[in-house]
Amino acid sequence: MTHTVVDADVLIAGGGLAAQRCCETLRRGGFDGRIVVLCEEPRAPYDRPALSKAVLMGELEVGTLAYREPRWYGEHEIELLLGTAARELDATVHVVELQDGSHLRYRHLLIATGSRPRPLPMFSSNDRVHELRTAADAQRLRATLASGSGELAVIGAGLIGLEVASAAGALGLTVTVIEAAPTPLARALPPALGLWIAGLHREHGVDVRLATAVEGVEHGSYETRMKLSDGSRVVAETVLLAVGTVPATQWLASSGLGPGAIHVDAGGRTQLPDVYAAGDVACYPGPHPEQRIPTQHWEAAARQGTTVARSLLGQEPLHSPPPMFWSDQHGRRIQLVGHAPGGCEVELDGDPAASSFIAWLTHTELPPAAMLVNRPDALPQARAWIAASHP
Amino acid sequence: MTYLPVIDESACLAHGDCEEMAPGVFRVEDVASVIGTAPDEQLLAVARACPASAIVLVEKESGQQVYP
Repeated sequence: MTHTVVDADVLIAGGGLAAQRCCETLRRGGFDGRIVVLCEEPRAPYDRPALSKAVLMGELEVGTLAYREPRWYGEHEIELLLGTAARELDATVHVVELQDGSHLRYRHLLIATGSRPRPLPMFSSNDRVHELRTAADAQRLRATLASGSGELAVIGAGLIGLEVASAAGALGLTVTVIEAAPTPLARALPPALGLWIAGLHREHGVDVRLATAVEGVEHGSYETRMKLSDGSRVVAETVLLAVGTVPATQWLASSGLGPGAIHVDAGGRTQLPDVYAAGDVACYPGPHPEQRIPTQHWEAAARQGTTVARSLLGQEPLHSPPPMFWSDQHGRRIQLVGHAPGGCEVELDGDPAASSFIAWLTHTELPPAAMLVNRPDALPQARAWIAASHP
Repeated sequence: MTYLPVIDESACLAHGDCEEMAPGVFRVEDVASVIGTAPDEQLLAVARACPASAIVLVEKESGQQVYP
């Protein structure tokens, strides 16, 4: 076997949670090769969920969100290339071209470039129009919301949009949420629970417009005017675009991967030799064939980063606990355990009008799920219930 | 020291934060395990920081769940 000199035994494109967990698991597993991480942002891997919550409220600075102290990377011999992104992949020769034109040869590549907000071209680029993905985005949005006055229009009632609406409302802004689907979080929750969330926002003064699309946009000197599909108009000083994300695979155009999420096997392997994928950019097989869906949540990115490291160490993936996400809105901690597709039966435990309750969700063909509202104590019980009902 | 940490092994994703925060109490291999003890406040801080919410604290005497 010929010995080729490489720049990285493991090259990780992307410096988010999946990359961090991959590095940790490799070193914990005794891997002693060279690990290089391409971090597009000028900061070491950090925890994003707080960006749409405590950072906007001014309760946390983005500098506090790093997963590990800077010295951790030195101690574990992880080379972080900050402000550096991949531009092209040539998997036939195991080379990644960087944005500055230089090349890195890898033995194994992990694609963990995450996702980016889905663009809405009708809004065009404007100082008042925000997206929320990175720490820099959050700082910019925080600077706008900190005044605690004015109007915010949130386009899209997904997790990010709803969390920002909650934070901005608490800060004193007048908030309108505009969602094209008939219920919020329509891909994650059955309609009855989506409507409960819409009600929670309305109780707190947020104007929630469902089944309503933006049909026209005009930027004035001090505000943005939007014409909606129901004929009404909304005027706002600040606009947040939060209509979902797309996998950040544009740099892979010539490689044969993408343009959508990258399909991988249970160990994170793509169709290309020595190339793996994890996190928002990847689509892993689910426990059921019909559940092969990209789950763009924190917990999935963490698990998949670990899975790829285990594959590189020659280990099988760990068992997968039911997927889970959480959200903080208007003082409620909302936790969903398991997948809750449309068509599931909802059984309530407690009164949704009160501040805490549990919704048990069952489906004729799929494993059950549970949504906990201010009931973190019931999490072990919910997990045990889900585990018991699918062998 | 009246709290006892219990790992929900079905939920643990081996993030390793517990071992980073309290190396004398937790060890992470395929999943975390409990190898020692610490003051209640420290156990509570680690349990709150667990990204998978996989650390359950119970009162030693009564067996009552105190976190989450």
